[in-house]
Amino acid sequence: MELNDLQLDMLKEMGNIGASHAATSLSQMLMSEVDMTVPKVDVIDISQISEYFGEDISAVVVFEIQGEVQPAGYVVYHVPKSSAIRLSNTMFGTTDEDRELNELDESAITEVGNIMISHFLDATAELLGIVMLPSPPMLAIDMAHAAFENILAQVAVDINEIILFSTELKSKNNDIESTVIMLPYDDTLHHILELLNNLINPDIGGGTA
Amino acid sequence: MEKQDKASSKGSNVGIGEYQTGNLQISSIGLGSCVALILYDRKLKTGGLAHVMLPESNGKNDRPGKFADTAVPHLIHEMEKCGSSRKDLTAYLVGGSSMFEQFKGNLDIGNRNIAALRESLNKMKIPIESEDIAGTSGRSVFFFPKDEGRINIRRADGKCYEL
Repeated sequence: MELNDLQLDMLKEMGNIGASHAATSLSQMLMSEVDMTVPKVDVIDISQISEYFGEDISAVVVFEIQGEVQPAGYVVYHVPKSSAIRLSNTMFGTTDEDRELNELDESAITEVGNIMISHFLDATAELLGIVMLPSPPMLAIDMAHAAFENILAQVAVDINEIILFSTELKSKNNDIESTVIMLPYDDTLHHILELLNNLINPDIGGGTA
Repeated sequence: MEKQDKASSKGSNVGIGEYQTGNLQISSIGLGSCVALILYDRKLKTGGLAHVMLPESNGKNDRPGKFADTAVPHLIHEMEKCGSSRKDLTAYLVGGSSMFEQFKGNLDIGNRNIAALRESLNKMKIPIESEDIAGTSGRSVFFFPKDEGRINIRRADGKCYEL
């Protein structure tokens, strides 16, 4: 799968809109500033995924993208364990960091992910003019690589290279790092590119992006 | 997302869909629904590992290590090329867990991978010596063919043990 510069730019801009809505909602929930990196669009061979997601224990919240195009792909909220504990602490006003993730943490992280990803998909769908809704969240507390294997077994059956959209969201005040990732099916990606192309090359009027 | 330091995964890591043979350490980190197919030649003290992602290739053969039904014959063939004889080979399976209880799509891919590998090994008459499979926890596996084919496993919950 090859993407040209224009396509990459369009996808980054789409990621930017989605991620900034997710960042705003995270910032509201944490009641503090959230910094966001420029969205990245990487074409990655499945054998190289371990360079992005390793053995470190993380909270991985997975959503299937539902709506018009099905199956469309997945959106993932990835939080390394130490950040996940601090995220939960911030939500509950607790301070103990030297502990394992418990059930309360798990539901807090799942809910934070749920709210953020809903905003992420809403904004993305509105830009594209289609319906995209998140499935109920699925959570794994495990090695990040192991959790991603389940998703890759879905999206990379016939292909060996995947398109990974990722944006890091950081809260400096609370020392929380997290990443929003979108993994579309190949067909969905082509559909998205088509829609984006229509957006910047409309018959009448200017682009929205 | 920054690339992680390669030093964090010591030895050579076999990525998803890849395979490797030899007598030095072979490892595969973060096995979830994927299964590490390990073959050990007890005579030559060499081995091979394939990081299998899916049960059936449906005719695709560009990545033999990716599918159970192509990984087994291919890994045997690679070992034979290095002088192994099929009767000296034993197999080990590690991985194939279900990370998400609620995962709807492609139900139970981990168990399907395991079943497909068992069937394929059975067909090739390679006995399975030992397994550490299924469950809900990720695993990293470290295989030392030179050291009597020792296999160490590190589970996501922190437990480390020898297979």
